[in-house]
Amino acid sequence: MKSLLAVSGIGFSYRSKPVLHDISFTVGRGTVCGLLGPNASGKTTLLKCINGVLTPKEGEVRVNGSLLGAMPRRQVARLMAVVPQQMSLAFSFTALQMVVMGRSARLGALKLPSGRDRSEACAAMAELGVGHLAERSFNELSGGERQLVLLARALFQETPILLLDEPTSHLDFRNQYRILDVVSEMTHAKGLATLVTLHDPNLASRYCTHLVVLKDGRLHRKGPRETVFEEKTLREVYGMEVSVHRMPGEPPVVLPGTGAALS
Amino acid sequence: MREHKLAFAVSFLVLAASVVLALMLGRYRLDFGNLGEILVSIVSGRQGDPALSGPSLVLWSVRLPRVIAAVMVGAALSVSGAVFQSLFRNPLVSPGILGVTSGASFGATLALFVAGNSVLAVEGSAFFWGLVAVTLAYQIGRRSGNSVTSLVLSGVIVSALFTAGISFLKYKADPYQQLPAMVFWTMGSFNSIVWDDTIRGLAIITPGLAILYLFRWWLNPIALGDEDAMTLGIDVPKARMIYIVLGTVIVAASVASCGNIGWVGLVVPHMARILLGSDHDALIPFAALLGGTFMLIMDTLARTLPGGEIPVGVLTALLGAPFFAYLLVTNEKRGGWQN
Repeated sequence: MKSLLAVSGIGFSYRSKPVLHDISFTVGRGTVCGLLGPNASGKTTLLKCINGVLTPKEGEVRVNGSLLGAMPRRQVARLMAVVPQQMSLAFSFTALQMVVMGRSARLGALKLPSGRDRSEACAAMAELGVGHLAERSFNELSGGERQLVLLARALFQETPILLLDEPTSHLDFRNQYRILDVVSEMTHAKGLATLVTLHDPNLASRYCTHLVVLKDGRLHRKGPRETVFEEKTLREVYGMEVSVHRMPGEPPVVLPGTGAALS
Repeated sequence: MREHKLAFAVSFLVLAASVVLALMLGRYRLDFGNLGEILVSIVSGRQGDPALSGPSLVLWSVRLPRVIAAVMVGAALSVSGAVFQSLFRNPLVSPGILGVTSGASFGATLALFVAGNSVLAVEGSAFFWGLVAVTLAYQIGRRSGNSVTSLVLSGVIVSALFTAGISFLKYKADPYQQLPAMVFWTMGSFNSIVWDDTIRGLAIITPGLAILYLFRWWLNPIALGDEDAMTLGIDVPKARMIYIVLGTVIVAASVASCGNIGWVGLVVPHMARILLGSDHDALIPFAALLGGTFMLIMDTLARTLPGGEIPVGVLTALLGAPFFAYLLVTNEKRGGWQN
């Protein structure tokens, strides 16, 4: 399988404090790859290094073989779209105006979005079942609705790569599954390479075919879920006793072990 | 979209009516006949001809340059305010956030102190020092992280520096000759505007507004935040520099021509947002239209109210603040201004 997104040897430090060290992995077409790790393990920083909002000190990111480091923002934005963590706006844009902004990188220098761009944005919203929210103010939407609108914006950006930063962190039980259902469905339908950071290993087990596990800024484990999602890895990474349970026809589930933390 | 067209049409009519009224009203009252006469004289290229009747001369050499200047400055301050509010993602930002108004006021005060009442010296110095102040603030901000916060802080620093400079010059100034001119200038007025001032202002402000109009779309993603704008494909540092340069130049030119008129650049963008929403596609031209109209009405009131002319900067706040409060309260009933 040819990998669409290739991350090799990424290292990053804030001032003199090293945050990431020698991270390498790849994500293939039609794959949802989960990025797991405890707080402060460097997940969000890694995501920012990949999309170039931060410049990594070492290593490189390639998309389809071409190096991202030297590319102008416009070109990067045609290759990867980002669904940011929960955001609220200082000014009131409608949901549709938010989605239309996904076109920014494809508009000519001084061009405005056309009526066609707008109707395509509506179609992208309808595809995720949020078409009826088009004229609502983004700030008035619920957390789940906002996340779906931001996902619609990312898909409207029409990039081969999709990055999501904790898309479920502010969502209720139902909406966590709803958003990830849509993400994995779109990844398969459009053949995207999707990288998603998650707090909950059970969500990762359910939706990600591949996992990358970080600990203290280093790559702890990577590979297909079947090999990575096991008691030893999760115990080491989260620093607590856990047990992995397998039920027929269901992805494996991790539960807190005897309840006693190791540390 | 249809609402937008209606809002633009109505505002344009209000502006046109305000222009006609402003040309007619004043100590020397004119009627439609005089207006027609001057129009004919402009078309036939005889404007300013001393052989023309007195009313036409008043209209041509006193009121017309003043009316144009008021519309131009109102549009410049409002558009600049809208641009800076998006850039700093903060509805409380005014065009002076990076120190352009305090720098320009310092420049004018300095010229009044050193060179006396030379119009060219005052305008040139105001424009120059306005740009110096923002360049200073921008450089400090860039060296301290190039974030929105560091820019705001360096703007505060630079404003404080130039405000102290103004105080020092006022303290040293001749209290009978120089001080009144300085005080009057810092309050802002179109009282002494002649064609030369208007033309100098137009030469800078018109292209500035035109370029900002062409670049208005990027303000949408930039209003979402630096990182988000970057992932959407905007080169944020470059775009920010373009907007700061243009927004600063048009405000410096405004302050140079009529002094420091506060409140318009802060409030008119909000009025525009309340009426049309935050999409800069419509917001930028609408803020220009609304700002020009607002400033013209204020200036016309400032010179026609009984009791002699008052500085328009006083009036913009005196009448603008209650009007803004009214908009805020009525808009809250419709769901709040941020929604």
